[in-house]
Amino acid sequence: MKRRGRGIACMWYPIGFTVSANPSAATVKVNEDGTATLLTGTVETGQGSLTVLAQIAAEELGIATDDVHVLSADTDAMPMDTGAIASRTTYVTGNAVRLAAEQAKLILFETAAPMLGVKPAQLEARDRKIQVKGYPQRNAAIGEVAHRSQVVMGQPAIGSASWNPPTVAMDPLTGQGKPFSTYVYATQIAEVDVDDETGEVEVLRIVAAHDCGRPINPMLVEGQVEGGISMGIGFALQEQILFDGAGVQVNPNLANYIMPTSLDMPEIEVDIVDSYDPTGPFGAKGVGEPTSVPTAAAVLNAIHDAVGVRITSLPATAEKVLAAIKQERAHNTKRIPAR
Amino acid sequence: MPKKARSAEKSPRTTTQPPGSAGEIARAHPLALPAAFPIETLVPQVRLQTPAVGQRATRPDGRLHGLGQTRYIDDLAFPGMLYAKIKRAGIAAARIRSIDTRAAEAMPGVLAVLTGREIPVNSFGPSLQDQPVLADERVFHAGDGVAAVAALTEQIAAEAIEKIVVDYEPLPAVFDPLEAMREDAPKVHAPASNIYETKVIRKGDADAALAGADHVFERQYRTQMVEHAPLEPHAAIAVWDPNGRVTIHTTLGRITLGRADISRTLKLPLNRVRIVATIVGGNFGGKNEITQEPVLALLSKKTGRPVKGVFTRGEEFASTTTRHPFVMDYRTGVSKDGRIVARKVRLVLDGGAYCSWSETTLGKACILSTGPYRIDNLLVEAHAVYTNKTMTGAMRGFGAPQVCFAYESQMDEIAATLRMDPLEIRLLNAFEEGTASPTGQVLHSVVLKDSLLRAAQRFGWKEPRS
Repeated sequence: MKRRGRGIACMWYPIGFTVSANPSAATVKVNEDGTATLLTGTVETGQGSLTVLAQIAAEELGIATDDVHVLSADTDAMPMDTGAIASRTTYVTGNAVRLAAEQAKLILFETAAPMLGVKPAQLEARDRKIQVKGYPQRNAAIGEVAHRSQVVMGQPAIGSASWNPPTVAMDPLTGQGKPFSTYVYATQIAEVDVDDETGEVEVLRIVAAHDCGRPINPMLVEGQVEGGISMGIGFALQEQILFDGAGVQVNPNLANYIMPTSLDMPEIEVDIVDSYDPTGPFGAKGVGEPTSVPTAAAVLNAIHDAVGVRITSLPATAEKVLAAIKQERAHNTKRIPAR
Repeated sequence: MPKKARSAEKSPRTTTQPPGSAGEIARAHPLALPAAFPIETLVPQVRLQTPAVGQRATRPDGRLHGLGQTRYIDDLAFPGMLYAKIKRAGIAAARIRSIDTRAAEAMPGVLAVLTGREIPVNSFGPSLQDQPVLADERVFHAGDGVAAVAALTEQIAAEAIEKIVVDYEPLPAVFDPLEAMREDAPKVHAPASNIYETKVIRKGDADAALAGADHVFERQYRTQMVEHAPLEPHAAIAVWDPNGRVTIHTTLGRITLGRADISRTLKLPLNRVRIVATIVGGNFGGKNEITQEPVLALLSKKTGRPVKGVFTRGEEFASTTTRHPFVMDYRTGVSKDGRIVARKVRLVLDGGAYCSWSETTLGKACILSTGPYRIDNLLVEAHAVYTNKTMTGAMRGFGAPQVCFAYESQMDEIAATLRMDPLEIRLLNAFEEGTASPTGQVLHSVVLKDSLLRAAQRFGWKEPRS
C-alpha cells in the first residue's frame, strides 16, 4: 500500500570559499554606439552565469542585457577570475563586473557633464541615457556620449576592477573567525509516496523557498533550484558508486549507476525569498550549490513521516526502505511464546 | 484559430535545394557548416528592457544549444589532430615494477607513448600536491592512469593501450575510512598518516551543557560516494606550437588555477600556457582541476601535432573526483521546550586516494555541520582520510548536503520525541539577523525564518492532512 508523507529541511550555505583569497577581476568596454563588451575570466558551465554578469554590467551602465556581449574563459585575454566554483560567480565576479562598469561609466560622466552643463557627480545612467539626477529630461543618449568620449575627448570608456570578499581567517584551535563574507538560507518541503510492500519511494512534490539575495534573473534562479533538486533526489534515493572487495568500481556506467530522469522528477514549486544583501552586486548573493543541499534531508524526513522508519544512511534505496519497514513490523509484532 | 493561422503562413520550405546552396554544402561537408543558420536573429523583448537587473532575460547560448550549434570540445578538430587514450591501473594499490610500451609503440598509427616518468613535475593538487598526473612509482587507486598513447584514430589509441604491459607488485590497501584511521592500517601515502586534514570548531562548553540537558539525542549518519555525471565528459585538445607555447582547449571551469597547475607540471612559465575553455557541458564541481591536460600537452610536444582526449563515461566515474562519503556522529542536548543547548559532531570524510578539494569540503562541512541554529555550546571535530578509492573533491554543496541530511534528520527525531511540529522546532532554534555563527561571525541578511514560513505556506503545511 502506498503511504503518503511529508518532510521539511532547511539549511544555510556560504557564498565563496574559505581557504585563501577569492578574487575576480573584470573589464568593461563601452563601444562608441553605447553597447558594451564584458571581459571575464570565469567560464560558462551551463548555469547561465554569463547572462547574469551581462545583466549586472547593463544595470550599472543603464543599458539592456542584450547591449552587453560577454567574452570569457581565455587565460591569454581575460582578466583573472577564481573560477566557476563555490556559488561565487554572481556575488564575487558580479561585484568585479559592477565596479568595472562603474569605472567605464565615470568616463562617460566626465564627457557628458559639460554637454549637460552639470558636474559628473550629478549624473546617472538610465534607459540608455546619461541624465541629470532629478531632471531626466536633461539627458544625452549613451551612444552619443560614448562616441564623443572616444572620438572627441580621446578617452574611450573602458573600466577594469577587481573584488575580493572580506574575510577573517579561522583560529586553528577554536575555529573562530569570519570565514565567509555572506550566507544564503533555504527551506525545502517534500511530499512522497512510499510503497510499504516494495519500499519504493516516489517524490511527488517539492516546495523550495530559497534566498539568493536579490535575484538578478529569477528565471535562472528557478533553473538552478530545479537542477539542484534533481541532484538532491538522486543523492537521496538512487545514486551510489559501488566498489568490489579489491577497490574497483562495479557500476561505472549510466546503465548501473541510477540517476533521476525526467520521469523521476516531482512537481517543483520555487519561491524566491525577499532578501537584499548590501555587500552583493545590486543586493545579490548566490544560489548554485544551496539548491541541492536540503533535498535529501526533506525526502528522508518525508519517508519517516510516511512509514515510520528512519533511514540513516544514503541512498534510501527501495531495498533499504523495505528492510527497515520489515524490521519495524517485526519489532512491533507481539510474539506469543509457544508452549 | 491555430489552423487558420497556420494556413496564413508562408508556403512550406521546399525539400530540394539549388546547387551551391548552404544545404548542399552542408551535406557534402558535414563538419564544414552547421545544417542551417537562423535567417533572422530575433531578440526577445526581455533582453532589450531596462533596467536589466530582475529581468527574466533569456540566454544567448540557448539559441546555439537549441540549434545544436554549440561547439563542445569533441566538436572541435584541427588539421593533423591525434587522439589520446590513457591506460588505467585497474588495481587499487601497487608498486609499479616496470611498464613495457614496446608493442604499443610498434603499432601502425601510434605516434607517441607517454609514461609518468616523462612528466617534468609529476604531481598536482589544489592544497596538497599529492596526485600524480600519471602514476609512476606507485598506484594509489584503480582509476589511476599509468601510460598514455597518441594515435591517428581513437580506435588505434584504444587498442594500443591494451598492448601496454605493466608489472605490478600489489600492496596492502584500505577502503573504509574508519579502518584507515587506525594506527595499524595500511598507509595510502606511506609514511604519511591517512588522516591528512583535521579541523575543529569549539564554542562554549559542549560536554557540560550535554550533561545538563533534559534530553540527549545520539545517532550516526552515513552518506555514499556519488558522481557529478555531467552530460559532457572531461575533454581537451592540446596544441604545442614551434615557439614552445602550448594552447589547451579544455572543459575546465577554473582556468586560472588550471593554468597554474599545467605550468607547474610542465615546468613552463605561465605566459607560455594558454587555456581556452569552451562552453562547458556541466561542471557541478567536477571540472575544477586539471586531469589529462599535461598528458595531452606532452603528447603534442612529442608528435608536433594537436592531440585530443575525451574521457569515456567509465573514466568519468573511476578517474575523476566524486562526492565525499561522510560518517557523521551527532550528539545533541535539548531542553524540555525544544531548544538545542549543545551539540557535538564528529565528521569523517572519505577522501579517496588524493586530497583534491577535501580541505575546502572539510572546512565548509565543519562550519555548517551544526545547522542554521542558535546553539551556544558546540564541539565539531572533522577529519579527512585517505583510502585507496577514487578521489573525492569538489561537488555542488562541498560537504553541505551530507551534514544537512544529518542535522535535519536529527531535528525531526527531536521534534517527534518532544511531540513538537517539525516546523515549529526549527523556527524556535533558527538563526536570526545578528546571530553569531558557530565561528563567532555576526550574520547579516538572515532570512531563514522567512524561507521556513514561505515554504510552509506554499506547501500548505498547517492545513489539515487527509
